[in-house]
Amino acid sequence: MKTRASKTVVIVGGGLTAGLIARQLTAKGVEVLVLERGGDHSKGPESSLPNQRDELRWAVRQGLIQDWSRETYTLRHQHNQTALPVRWMESFLPGQGLGGAGNHWNGHLWRWAEYDPQLRSHYLHRYGKQAIPADMPLQDWGVTYAQLEPYHDLFEKLFGVSGQAGNIGGKKLPGGNPFEAPRSGPYPQAPLQVLESGLVFKQACEQLGYHAFPQAAANSSGAYTNPDGQKLGQCQYCGHCERFICEANAKGSPQVLLYPMLRERKSFEVRLNTQVLGLRYDAAGKRATAVHCLDLLTGEEYEQPAEVIVLAAFTMSNTQLLLHSKIGKPYDPVSNTGVVGKNFCYQVNAGVDLFFKDKWFNPFLASGSTQMVIDEFNNDNFDHSGLGFLGGATIQAYQFSGRPIKGRRVPDGTPRWGTAWKQANADWYAHSMTLGIEGSCYPHRGNYLSLDPTYRDAYGRPLIRMTFDFRDNEQKMAAFLSNKMMEIARHCGADKVGSLQGLVTPFDSRLYQTTHIVGGTIMGETPHDSVVSPHLQHWDAHNLFVVGASVYPHNSGYNPTGPLGALALRLGDDLQRYLQRPGRL
Amino acid sequence: MTDSVDFLPPDSAGSARRVFLKQLAAASSSLPLGKALAGGSATAMLLQSADATAAPSGKPVINTVYGYQSFGPDEAAFVEAMLNIMCPADHLTPGGVDCGLAIYIDRQLAGSFGQGARRYAAGPFLQGAAQCGPQLPLTPEQYFKAGVAEADRAAQRLYGQLFDVLTPQQGDAFLQQLAAGRVAGEQLDLAEWFNSLVYPLFAEACFADPLYGGNVGMVFWKMIGYPGLPATHALDVVQYLGKPYPGAANPKSIADFS
Ligand SMILES: Cc1cc2nc3c(=O)[nH]c(=O)nc-3n(C[C@H](O)[C@H](O)[C@H](O)COP(=O)(O)OP(=O)(O)OC[C@H]3O[C@@H](n4cnc5c(N)ncnc54)[C@H](O)[C@@H]3O)c2cc1C
Ligand code: SF4
Repeated sequence: MKTRASKTVVIVGGGLTAGLIARQLTAKGVEVLVLERGGDHSKGPESSLPNQRDELRWAVRQGLIQDWSRETYTLRHQHNQTALPVRWMESFLPGQGLGGAGNHWNGHLWRWAEYDPQLRSHYLHRYGKQAIPADMPLQDWGVTYAQLEPYHDLFEKLFGVSGQAGNIGGKKLPGGNPFEAPRSGPYPQAPLQVLESGLVFKQACEQLGYHAFPQAAANSSGAYTNPDGQKLGQCQYCGHCERFICEANAKGSPQVLLYPMLRERKSFEVRLNTQVLGLRYDAAGKRATAVHCLDLLTGEEYEQPAEVIVLAAFTMSNTQLLLHSKIGKPYDPVSNTGVVGKNFCYQVNAGVDLFFKDKWFNPFLASGSTQMVIDEFNNDNFDHSGLGFLGGATIQAYQFSGRPIKGRRVPDGTPRWGTAWKQANADWYAHSMTLGIEGSCYPHRGNYLSLDPTYRDAYGRPLIRMTFDFRDNEQKMAAFLSNKMMEIARHCGADKVGSLQGLVTPFDSRLYQTTHIVGGTIMGETPHDSVVSPHLQHWDAHNLFVVGASVYPHNSGYNPTGPLGALALRLGDDLQRYLQRPGRL
Repeated sequence: MTDSVDFLPPDSAGSARRVFLKQLAAASSSLPLGKALAGGSATAMLLQSADATAAPSGKPVINTVYGYQSFGPDEAAFVEAMLNIMCPADHLTPGGVDCGLAIYIDRQLAGSFGQGARRYAAGPFLQGAAQCGPQLPLTPEQYFKAGVAEADRAAQRLYGQLFDVLTPQQGDAFLQQLAAGRVAGEQLDLAEWFNSLVYPLFAEACFADPLYGGNVGMVFWKMIGYPGLPATHALDVVQYLGKPYPGAANPKSIADFS
């Protein structure tokens, strides 16, 4: 196998976090090579009219999503079962192509709770030594929100985030999230328009004493120029946002804000259609020496050496690359030893539909982030004494699209076809809305990632095996939050309130939930309980770094990308220090 | 209940035993045969339907594409009968076949979807938790056809007749039973087949862009009030907050911008 000329920094995966790290490094002239398995989406039908607006092609047939015939995952719910391959995944949708899932995301941008990085300490402090069940390996991250705040601020400015601040420097502001972690300043742009569904929800929340606020969004409420001079257009509420690329250049995404700029920088190079198959590891020297690549256009395999290697290939690939390359000790739930694959977590969801004869919701007038939210029952924003579970969820009235194949609502009891079915769709399409919860998912000793003993990917590597289910804690939390949501639903004044669509158990790969899968290469304070240090440096290879939601030891009741952006930008700065004096950061 | 669909992934059996030019018969009000036959591609069809939308006749636009790429005669008879039951001609839409639903499903099965594009197909094929999704060594097209053959034999068992000659009431009752898991398959789980493959294709046929052959004349979009493509709504979202959106009455599809 050929070896190509060594590079200073090689980043595996060309998505959101990779773009942010490269921004920091190439600004200082550091040589960066990004290796991305997919192509460039910026000129194709996926980002041009009229074909961009094709629900079947992009949303239903998953035109922008990982090719499952090449790489998929196996699933089992308990570690003593045989896992089967998910032959067509619906529950979460990793991206493929320059920009990664950061192109076809919704754009909700959260900072997590101030206590999230110290969650273990927080719970122990508030509820005492018995608070955390023995099978829930919560742990602190080794970094604080205050350390990340400047990077959150930068990320929000780079992505032109639209939102209403709720807490600037400890001062609570009306209209924002009263539970927000303290910010150093306002959002760069005013929030998105509030839709009819949001107004209905807000009014119901006011009756109940809750504080609804508009979702902070990377969907640009106005025309915007970021600190790098990169521009966003105004969001057109086009209803083809999540699972789609924004044809109006209005969605904060790597394809718009990062890669075009990076490609102009001399020290930056990206190789597309380049599948990374593994890493070469010098166990004695505790270094990762090279990346094993396959050029998908020519079939050529080669080794790409580097001084620094960063894994930024999303939760599953990050974990697979470490396990397959035998770097770090794989986690074993029985002996409770090892770390790679540990703390795999997902997200809790539930919902309810509401029907109003006389209200017009126009579901198609929507952006990927048009929702009003309450944070009263999220994470530890409320007292858990005596509840028997930890964690919580946002409750929201969301309206992201009226795409007709997947986005119609009909009242309970509607037949599934025939004239009555058609009539119900005609009657309620524009006159219905949905409430949902999006909740935390804490680690469980039995939820983890490992290599499958049977099934292989198109490159001959073992598939990643998910051993995952929503355990007792998450089920109880979902039940509690669902009650809260149904109470709000009953205060909305609807003619018909649908039945609760509760958390689906056991975990089901056939239903889209969120693409917020976390853990597997978790961060922490010691090599015994984590794969990477608080600086995202691999404990067993000091020139190897991992970034992405795979480093979260738990999932919070928010979307993941805010802290990811902050961590990636910080890593970019840390790597400059590392390159000056290679060693433990 | 969100009326959305999540789909999943077929041998063929049966003997040639039907004569059916039902589809042509049903299309009597449409274009002259020569033009209809020429309209083999989806785009040409769309141009025709766009023309027809503008026609002052006031008659609903119906499918003018004939000839199947995937279905054999028995399969076509089954699918057409099924679609005309699931989407009967009524005050809301023409019948399912006239709405292009059969052409949609046929083209999907003949195309990359039906051939299993981007779907993991390596063995072994073991049965296990339903939540892992179906584990069959079949492409969606093969699965669809195997299910049609089994369902037709089940109809014969239960009613003494093939599915397409049942009365609409019998056919509807049969499909209800099938979807509810009350019709035993031979080798397949027919409820799983119907709910994970057939039903999603039906919903897609109704609501996808007419580019793919279904939803002829955007009839389903008009039915619900979905405006289609022109979505530069930064002003609309303010102006039509809580009010009916006028564009919903006159949707636009990909063909209108091509
Ligand atoms: C439909 C959808 C909606 C979402 N909405 C939100 C939201 O509203 N808010 C939010 O916070 N988050 C959201 N997310 C999640 C968000 O997109 C991710 O958190 C974010 O993109 C993660 O960045 P990343 O750099 O870790 O991964 P990505 O941006 O996905 O980039 C990873 C890249 O690595 C490449 N890659 C993987 N394996 C290899 C390999 N072996 N070799 C070479 N390249 C490889 C992939 O092709 C991909 O391009 C959403 C995701 C989806 C799918
Ligand atoms: S909703 Fe707004 S940000 Fe999203 S794709 Fe449409 S125009 Fe772009």
